Amino acid sequence: MPKLKMPKKSPELDMTPMVDLAFLLVTFFMLTAQFRPEEAVAVDTPSSMSQSPIPTENLMTIVVDSAGKVYWDMTDKKVRLKVLEEMGKRINYTPSDEDKVKFANVGAVGIPIQQLPAYLALPTGGARKEFDRQFEGIPTDSTNNQLRDWIITTRLLFYEEAGINPLVALKADGNTNYSKVAEVIRIFQSPGIQINRFKMITDLEESRM
Amino acid sequence: MADAPGGGEEGGGGKRHQKKRAKKGSTRIDMTPMVDLAFLLLTFFILTTTMYKPSTLQMTFPVPDEDPTDDKKTELSNAITLILTAKDQIFYYIGEFHTPTDGSGKPPTTLTRTDFSKVRQVLLERNKEAVEKLNQLARDFNSGKLDEAAYDSLRRKTKGDPTNLKAIIKTDKDAKYRNMIDIVDEMDISGIGSYGVLDSLKTAEQLLLDAEKATL
Repeated sequence: MPKLKMPKKSPELDMTPMVDLAFLLVTFFMLTAQFRPEEAVAVDTPSSMSQSPIPTENLMTIVVDSAGKVYWDMTDKKVRLKVLEEMGKRINYTPSDEDKVKFANVGAVGIPIQQLPAYLALPTGGARKEFDRQFEGIPTDSTNNQLRDWIITTRLLFYEEAGINPLVALKADGNTNYSKVAEVIRIFQSPGIQINRFKMITDLEESRM
Repeated sequence: MADAPGGGEEGGGGKRHQKKRAKKGSTRIDMTPMVDLAFLLLTFFILTTTMYKPSTLQMTFPVPDEDPTDDKKTELSNAITLILTAKDQIFYYIGEFHTPTDGSGKPPTTLTRTDFSKVRQVLLERNKEAVEKLNQLARDFNSGKLDEAAYDSLRRKTKGDPTNLKAIIKTDKDAKYRNMIDIVDEMDISGIGSYGVLDSLKTAEQLLLDAEKATL
């Protein structure tokens, strides 16, 4: 009789390895997930069938929102800081280390350069958005073409740093008037900048064709 | 703990013995809720990391003319001019633009109205030969008759054939950026390799367009 005795198995499954695995994956995804940085601009890009992915490095983005406000953004943090210093010289503003850190993480900037120190002094979130709303983005008119300054400075400093020109992307809201977008493109193509090839950021459309 | 009386529910048997068994049973905790939570988080992160998929559309704009008076003539007989305007409407005309008084003796141009649901039909119809060739190439590629490099170069060659339909995209001040992206997409679908985007209209075009827009 004792020989026939089967080893008593618990009906409960040992879930420890499963939990281990699940938490490993959770940790992995939590650590690798890149949340979209809090953007100063809400832009609803139009959809297209183009499938080429968006570059994540060396990219200068000019954003145009639905009201036609223009923003500047740059992925490379080192160059961002240099651009801040260089642009700051125009208004006799020397950024403190604290401001530099803030600027590195601020994302798209869309205010006249004169307002930048005041903007950086504000806490992130609502206050900045409110401040942002008071201005018409980076000025692009011919008498005060700050967008041109931003683009030229970025390209120059990026070239010094990396030895290549940065990639340029235009990210505009689908409901922006094309004439505003065309104005930005004209600045891209103007003498001294001459960006004739650039990327337009769109959403991938799946259900057409 | 040890001197607590009775085994309670287990009942019977020696007290000491009973205690030990009860303790043994409680060393395992029920991990089901934890697993539930872990998988919930897992699902959340998997879904949120793959949902946002932006893509880019590579555009090359022509280098602006240094001398605007130098009027380079482009062959426009097989060109379609699409004018994008308000309310997602498109007006188009074929060939060159003629006014009744320009002395060319040709009938004056009229604009035909269409929109984004119908423009593809117009373009495919007018660019039939190239579209058929491109479809044939795609079939050959899918059936394995062509390798990728050959397919790409043939495709580019077919698209760049100067006898194909050309397109000139002009935008009115009311056109939206979305319209421009959509029409560039349509160019790709209809196999039109040579197209240009302009944001200004000729005076005569503007007059004709304004008259048509009034009827919208």
